[in-house]
Amino acid sequence: MVFFLHDQRFIPAHGQAAVLLDLAADQAIDSNVLLRHTGLFREQIVQGEAQLSSHDFLQLIHNSRRSLADPELSFRYGQRLFPGHYGAASTLLANAGNLAQALQVFCDFGVLIQPLAGARLSLSEQHLCLQWLDCAGSGPHWRFIVEAAMTGVASVTRWLSGERLPWQFLFRHDCPDYPEQYQVHLSGPLHFASQIDAMLLPLEYLERPWPNHSATARQAALQQCQQEIASLPGTLSLRHGLYLHLLEHIHQPPSLQESAEWLECSPATLKRRLKGFSSHYQQLLDEARLHQAVHWLAFHGQGPDQVCARLNFTDSTNFRRSFKRWSGQTPAMCHRQLLRFAQR
Amino acid sequence: MKQRLSLHRGSLIALLVMANLVVLANLASGDLKTVSELVWLDIAGEGGAALLALLWIGLILNSRPTGRVTRLLVTGLSTLFLAYWQDLMDEFIQLPSAVMWDHWLESGAMPLGMLLLTLGIYHWHREQQAISAQLQKRERVFREHRSLDGLTPLSGPRYLREQLAMELLKQDQPLSLVMLDLHCFDHSRRLLGPHDSDRLLREVAEVLLLNLRQQDLLCRYAGDRFAVVLPRTGRQEAESLTRELEQAVRHFAFKTQRGITHPVAIMAGLAVAHDEDADSLIERANRNLHSPSRVA
Repeated sequence: MVFFLHDQRFIPAHGQAAVLLDLAADQAIDSNVLLRHTGLFREQIVQGEAQLSSHDFLQLIHNSRRSLADPELSFRYGQRLFPGHYGAASTLLANAGNLAQALQVFCDFGVLIQPLAGARLSLSEQHLCLQWLDCAGSGPHWRFIVEAAMTGVASVTRWLSGERLPWQFLFRHDCPDYPEQYQVHLSGPLHFASQIDAMLLPLEYLERPWPNHSATARQAALQQCQQEIASLPGTLSLRHGLYLHLLEHIHQPPSLQESAEWLECSPATLKRRLKGFSSHYQQLLDEARLHQAVHWLAFHGQGPDQVCARLNFTDSTNFRRSFKRWSGQTPAMCHRQLLRFAQR
Repeated sequence: MKQRLSLHRGSLIALLVMANLVVLANLASGDLKTVSELVWLDIAGEGGAALLALLWIGLILNSRPTGRVTRLLVTGLSTLFLAYWQDLMDEFIQLPSAVMWDHWLESGAMPLGMLLLTLGIYHWHREQQAISAQLQKRERVFREHRSLDGLTPLSGPRYLREQLAMELLKQDQPLSLVMLDLHCFDHSRRLLGPHDSDRLLREVAEVLLLNLRQQDLLCRYAGDRFAVVLPRTGRQEAESLTRELEQAVRHFAFKTQRGITHPVAIMAGLAVAHDEDADSLIERANRNLHSPSRVA
């Protein structure tokens, strides 16, 4: 498996980053201020040659938030993000024949359409759950990224489907002091201080056909996307790739040593590379376990005891204590809270 | 910032030329003092005053468009600067006692500069009164530039909450809050593009302002949602005002950059305060916005 590192430059700067630059330019912010410490210049971007690493992109977001300290920024950015002008990936999204095909773009070609936030789609009996995962170790900027991603997906699915989809929104963070931005821009039930950042929708919307798409254009774009992704240094960030690997083997998670062997590098190198994403092995393992536990608890109707057994904990006290450390809640509390959302 | 200063290039060049002329006139008619004759405290005091006057000129030019008030302020400050400048020259150059023009420049320019500056500040005050009158429906009682909205010339949600909290303290008076949401703005934004849709929001704000009373306050809540605070207004009156706002926006023919008319409609949600805090009033108005009966 080949994953990209935090300082590998391959994200075209005239893609998602340019949306942010244009947005700031509309509010009379100098683009040189925004590009400070990214090593890029406006001229390079206009020529379509400049490339960003995920670290540079985070720096750009940092600069934008400092220059435009407006809580609306992430939502306005999100509204402009999709389908966007990112080549084949945008064509693929714009020609989605239903929600499943649209979400496939985010899940399979995330690096082309939304490089900082990874999407994970899971289906339960009643709901689809689109969870957003931090690919870049974005720390304080994660909230900005997740606000933009959710606004973008809610907006583009509404536009392409021609109807307002009744999304529900779950956020890990507490309600910020600008709830009005969430209310107006997302306009669905909001659940703050949840265990995951995710969007929920009743399952019946997944296959409902959408108007105005071309199946042929979509097929061609799919081919192109596959070629594009093959030419990149990696399809996933190292942080996201290792997270998914841990998730896949959650019953018997590999140790740091085993993970390093799987990645064909030394444990010290793996540690150093994860540090580039402001992450470490144990943090990823905790995240993966929490997220999987939440999925089982909320969407698959399993009780805390079953989840405890599936996560390979020896006894339930131990599981409860760990769960509380990851999430600040007991599994039973989380179970009750999430069941409520899923029943809406 | 650069553009602002370039508006005033003429004034700046004139000032520079005058300052140079003063230096040349001094050098032509007097002799340089020796280092032992210099009084450093005077140099620091008078030089500092001249520098401050120069800084004020820079700040004023940078923050104001050209016009009568700006001209008065800048001329006044420039005259003051020249008086201090001549004062500073005295410290370095010994002029013969027969030369009188330096006294005129020092003692005559000072009161003249003060007079011009006073006149400028007086007109500035009048100008501010005119601007405040224009702003009346957008800001009430106190000013807070930090709560201004980035997109429209209105205040944002923080100011709205503060003002509602203040109005709610007056329990003997009815208070109404109307939330207004543009119909299908998500769709409009994609059709119009970012520039036109931002302009649409600004122009709708203007239309709403034109249809409000003196005591009302219009804020931008978030996105395409506006909030109207109606002090001393009961349900019946608020409902009729809301209808007027809806009609006014329906009759507004927004023009895109290409000159095509884009129709606009708003939905309204009304809540009349009874014994509650700002947040719950806002929440009720927002809820009514989504209810099919619209004005509940």
